[in-house]
Amino acid sequence: MSDGNGAPILRAEGLVKYYPDGNVQALRGVSLEVRDGEFVAITGPSGCGKSTLLHLLGGLDRPDSGEVWFRGASMARLDLDAFHARRIGFVFQSFYLLPTLTAAENVQIPMFEGPWPRPERARRASDLLAEVGLSHRAGQRPTRLSVGERQRVAIARALANEPELLLADEPTGNLDSASQEEILRLLGQLRDRRRITLVIVTHSEEVARAADRRIAIKDGRILATE
Amino acid sequence: MRFITLITKNVIHRPMRSALTALGLSVAIAAVIVLVGISWNFERSFLAIYRSKGIDMVIVHAGSSNQLSSSLEVGMVDRLRRIEGVADAAPTLVDTVAFEDQNLASVLVDGWEPDSLLFKGIRMLSGRPLRRGDDRSVLLGRVLALNLDKKADDPIQVSGESFRVVGVFESDSLFENGALVLPLTVLQKMMGREGQATGIVISATSSDPAFLDSLRRRIESQIPGVAATPARDYVVADTQIRLAKAMSWTTGLIAMVMGALGMLNTMLMSIFERTREIGILRAVGWRRHRVLVLVLGEALVIATAGTLIGGVLAAVGMQALMLSPTARGFIDPNIPIEVLGLALAMGIGLSLLGGLYPAARAAALDPTEALRHE
Repeated sequence: MSDGNGAPILRAEGLVKYYPDGNVQALRGVSLEVRDGEFVAITGPSGCGKSTLLHLLGGLDRPDSGEVWFRGASMARLDLDAFHARRIGFVFQSFYLLPTLTAAENVQIPMFEGPWPRPERARRASDLLAEVGLSHRAGQRPTRLSVGERQRVAIARALANEPELLLADEPTGNLDSASQEEILRLLGQLRDRRRITLVIVTHSEEVARAADRRIAIKDGRILATE
Repeated sequence: MRFITLITKNVIHRPMRSALTALGLSVAIAAVIVLVGISWNFERSFLAIYRSKGIDMVIVHAGSSNQLSSSLEVGMVDRLRRIEGVADAAPTLVDTVAFEDQNLASVLVDGWEPDSLLFKGIRMLSGRPLRRGDDRSVLLGRVLALNLDKKADDPIQVSGESFRVVGVFESDSLFENGALVLPLTVLQKMMGREGQATGIVISATSSDPAFLDSLRRRIESQIPGVAATPARDYVVADTQIRLAKAMSWTTGLIAMVMGALGMLNTMLMSIFERTREIGILRAVGWRRHRVLVLVLGEALVIATAGTLIGGVLAAVGMQALMLSPTARGFIDPNIPIEVLGLALAMGIGLSLLGGLYPAARAAALDPTEALRHE
């Protein structure tokens, strides 16, 4: 099922999920596998269940039936807080940066669950902002940053605890084409440099083309894998 | 970034709401400190009277709740002095008078026998004490003399009768400092209670509690119809003091609960507005207890600010009360440290209680639902 070359990092079998009203199925038995180091794009029209699938793969939500395994361990039996804190990073379309904090402070937020003392947290945040090219904006609050810069801060935050897997929900959805290219290039660089596995939900044909593999979803089912 | 920095920034981010919540809480805390402080000082001041005079026991008519409603024959004093264990005994007649021109509605007036043990613990600031044979003579407490603008040798009208101030004294008790003392027989005549006292105080040969208990039993068996009570128990059991304490605690607690409800409302609103933010914290791996500590920490910061402002408000309020002529002489503006500590602890405790439910709700948020929140 996978085009990647590494060992499976993520595997899903028969995922079914109903929307909160309990009547409409968001996912209708989705099965997939993502290999270590792979860049997978999940595509499909709005409302087809892409984001729901991403949340299930990241353990933010539980399936109504089916199961997800991370490195062979069932997610149902994982300590999900520890999993979110140390193994996985999330990037969202709307960035979700905390408005009261500066860019550097936002990057430090996940590190409170890590082993680092305060000076180390500050140093690591500074390094991460340098990695995404925002050293000069470290002291700015999100409202003073451009949308592209905000997304780069959100990416630095997702990398804060050195995750093995990065899940991104429409990371370029709110960006203009220049910023979109910039974010795509950055994700590619990070993947190469950190050997990180990338799973991105996207509408963007350009993002999908950059992926190793594309999983197309429609009406809660996998339509094609290419 | 420290965790406390995050907490503080969240509080400061909504300055008006945080300030108003802290202010509401501070008013509640100030109310507790002022009301409980006054009643506490009330009791302390009463105790000071007995302690400074070496009074071990108070005799009142059996069934009377305090000296103002009691009535005893003064002749009983000689019988009391003959009881084993009684070192000295002195009758006292207590009543209240008004000085309307100075807007003093209820001033304590004591009728004492010259040279009685009741003059112990009293320091003459000017003039002289009462002497046997004094008739139209009166002693003024320091605070009352100030309020009436009187000094030794000045004439004074008490309940429509003319007297001369023979001395001004200071006592360890605020009540006595705000009172006046007349010869017992003169006050009896003025009040139409010849031969009567409202109470008799006793100095015992020992202050040991077991000794006082046996003395109490001896007095009550030898003189039927009287109640003998150790001075400390008498003060603590005094109906007026208990009533004052109960009222101040009740009023203070109601104010405090209102403050805690304000905190609950503020924190609930804050959580509701930040649902997505909390979803993100959970999505990046924050454990439920860390979210709980974050929200409780915010409540604690507001509560601490509120209690500190409340302490200052209480101190200012006490001083402001002293500007009122009716309060002057009856209220000790010093806030007992025990009351201050208790009020601050209650303020912080109740505020944390008010923050607990919102914090628990925030911690229980499901990340996906929180991120979906509009």
